[in-house]
Amino acid sequence: MDVIFGLIPGMILLGLAGVLVFFWAVRNGQYEDMEGPAHRILNDDDMDELGGDPKRKPD
Amino acid sequence: MSPSASMSKDSCHHCGLPATGVAACEGEVAGEPQRFCCSGCLEVCRVIHAAGLDSFYDRLHAQENTLAPPPDAPSDLDQYDLDEVQREFVSPLSGGRRGAHLLVEGIHCAACVWLIEKALRDLAGVTRAEVNLARQRLVLEWQPQQVALSAILRRLAALGYAAVPFDPETAEGQVQCSNRRLLFRMGFAGFGAMNMMWISIALYAGTFSGIETEYKQFFHWVGFAIATPVLFYSGGPFLLSGWRGLRLRHLTMDLPIAIGALTTYAYSLWRTLHGGGEVYFDVVTTFIFVILVGRYLEAMARRSAASAALHLMELQPRTALRLDESGQETRVAVRKLAAGDRVLVRPGDKIPADGRVVEGDSHVNEAMLTGESQPVHKSCDARVSAGTVNGEGVLKIRVEQVGGDTTLARIIHLVEVAQGSKARVQRLADRIVPWFVAVTLLLAAATFLFWMRVDFDTALMAATAVLIITCPCALGMSTPMSIVVSTGVAARLGVLIRNGEALESLSRITHVVFDKTGTLTEGRMRVSRIECVDATLDEAQLLALAAALERHFTHPLARAITLAAEVRGLVLPAAEQLQAHGGLGVSGQVGGELVWLGNARLMAQAGVDIPDGMAALREAVESAMGVAVLLASGGRVLGVICLEDQLRSGARELLDRLRAQGLGVTLLTGDTRRAARHLQQQLGEMRVLAELLPEDKAREIAALQQLGERVLMLGDGVNDAPALARADISIAMESGSDVSMECSDVVLMGSELRKLPYAIEIGRQALRTIRQNLLLSLAYNLTLIPVAMAGLVTPVLAAIAMPLSSLLVIGNAILIRRRMGRFVEMQNGR
Repeated sequence: MDVIFGLIPGMILLGLAGVLVFFWAVRNGQYEDMEGPAHRILNDDDMDELGGDPKRKPD
Repeated sequence: MSPSASMSKDSCHHCGLPATGVAACEGEVAGEPQRFCCSGCLEVCRVIHAAGLDSFYDRLHAQENTLAPPPDAPSDLDQYDLDEVQREFVSPLSGGRRGAHLLVEGIHCAACVWLIEKALRDLAGVTRAEVNLARQRLVLEWQPQQVALSAILRRLAALGYAAVPFDPETAEGQVQCSNRRLLFRMGFAGFGAMNMMWISIALYAGTFSGIETEYKQFFHWVGFAIATPVLFYSGGPFLLSGWRGLRLRHLTMDLPIAIGALTTYAYSLWRTLHGGGEVYFDVVTTFIFVILVGRYLEAMARRSAASAALHLMELQPRTALRLDESGQETRVAVRKLAAGDRVLVRPGDKIPADGRVVEGDSHVNEAMLTGESQPVHKSCDARVSAGTVNGEGVLKIRVEQVGGDTTLARIIHLVEVAQGSKARVQRLADRIVPWFVAVTLLLAAATFLFWMRVDFDTALMAATAVLIITCPCALGMSTPMSIVVSTGVAARLGVLIRNGEALESLSRITHVVFDKTGTLTEGRMRVSRIECVDATLDEAQLLALAAALERHFTHPLARAITLAAEVRGLVLPAAEQLQAHGGLGVSGQVGGELVWLGNARLMAQAGVDIPDGMAALREAVESAMGVAVLLASGGRVLGVICLEDQLRSGARELLDRLRAQGLGVTLLTGDTRRAARHLQQQLGEMRVLAELLPEDKAREIAALQQLGERVLMLGDGVNDAPALARADISIAMESGSDVSMECSDVVLMGSELRKLPYAIEIGRQALRTIRQNLLLSLAYNLTLIPVAMAGLVTPVLAAIAMPLSSLLVIGNAILIRRRMGRFVEMQNGR
């Protein structure tokens, strides 16, 4: 059972890493628009969203 | 797929609104005839089709959304290409690109987002176009060598969106910053609360099935390690504001939160150090997390797109055409204008500064400042104001006031003052909380002293139990929960509540003040009646003749007549030698004959006698706030066209209902007394004050408030902004100016008057629920405090009782949804 003395701090460290990712996301503006992206992902003919050529017309 | 396949034949092909009004028109798109509610929609639909973006309509209907007719396109877009103007809002990017934030009017749903992004990215030179749907923003990056900003804005205008650039830093940097900090704190508390759950489960399990002291202590220390940063980082604002409140001798809600969290924490720490008993670090973190979630939801609901003052500033043109001594015109930034300068104002442009006309003749639309729906005729020596829109003529103006001295700037100032001085209704919970806090502290102290006679340990346990069990959670959440639920219900009903506190005030109003133009009436002129003198000409011919003369003029009356002719699908005869007679009307040659169209004074000028019947009709129409335009040719009057600003549907029913509820009703308008009196006749008994300036309206509301009335103001124009800001509760129509929406607490979507009773009822429901919730949490406290004081509260009991009280409060708040549903059904008579 002594393993928990190592595992629990490890868990907290992992959690902290998650917090850091969250902070990065907030700073990066990921929480600015909570509605648009949910719809945008359904616009599947926008190839440029997927990193394609922005000026390419959809087929 | 044909976009209108799923819709009735009478609805607009573009926006889906009924296409049966006088403005409705027909047009051919993709080889098929379609109906539209207005020519704006027709234009937009054609552009969308030409760009090959028809699937916009599929997306739109897939979401069961409807659009509104497109806003009027801004006229002076070229000014945005000047470097001097761009410096105010554009940021230079790598590779010579430029970036800007645009405030876009007319975004309704995800389909609009798709349309804008798609259409702009297809423009060569645009490197980034991203729409923020929630905030109606567009982030734009472009290559200035390839495409001009004005071309991008024009593209947007063609699609039916009006966009203005703005500087995001000054406007909302601060709000955004504090929201971000709140989000950081909430996220961190969430992390703490989640990890704490592991430890709690282990400890609870240990309590029942046994746990070695060594592990138990370890878990206590881990709990301490998590709870400490959560308490001092995430809970920091509560501790600080509680302390500040204490120093100012004002007991706020944050104080019991701070005391509750701190004592629970201190008690647990003490327990941890002495290596025995139960700890409540999990309570501390979860408590802080839940309260932060509530605060964050509130902040989101309140987040406003931009300040009212910012929108008012947008009304001001950024450039002006300055004339030098020799009459040469140069485009300069408005900031560079000085009193005494002479500027040229072209037709359709905004007037850059307050001043006097020195040359020229035109109509100026001053609706934004005065509320007067008719453009005002301006000739030599007439005063003009910054931000108002020039009509058909060219004006030369001598600048008298610039910048902060203009009428527009004065309104901005009025709004700021009124917003600052608005007497906020003290929230119910705020009034109870100080007493609650004081009593709790006293009881805890008494418990401590009482049990000290036994021993210190018992005394500390009992006193802490009192503080924990009176956990302000339920009390603290009773108001925010009700507000969150009611705003949600309201939004579904098309009532946008921008400010949670508005709900409490809504339920208390005693007096409703209306603006006229655009609120009770639709705010634009429509042809209501055509009367012919004799049988030589029928109504259609008369209208066609009038439209032929008016076709090329932009005066609202001219547009209304042209639109009416378009709706009827009339073929217009060719008109030549068109001439506008400022303030009187127009004339022109049609089929070799000189035709006059205008008011009685024009007829007198043309030497035409008005027959008695026509004169009587004209009087009748004009006393009914309409306009009668006479058509004459060959020395005699051929007929008359009547134009009226019509009442919104449901206006009469709304006023009857308000009166039935015993509310006072007042009409404040910038229009003439006669027009106001006519409205009074149509709408029944009410107080009417006419010919008011923006500051008069605000003063009138202040006067009502002095009499002890709680005033609700419903308005839509820029001229209403100070009054809206002054009223206890202000409601704006969605079709109104952005400024009025920014100033108001509530916005009626779809501009439907019948939604006003919904708003009032939601306010009542919210207040009732808040009261019930306060009672519930007080009752809970009254039962459990004695138990805690008696030292009988075990950790398990506290753990069960605390969430139970919160759940009661939340559940009751959710009931608002059902109660409102019943109210709406009753209203609709179903």
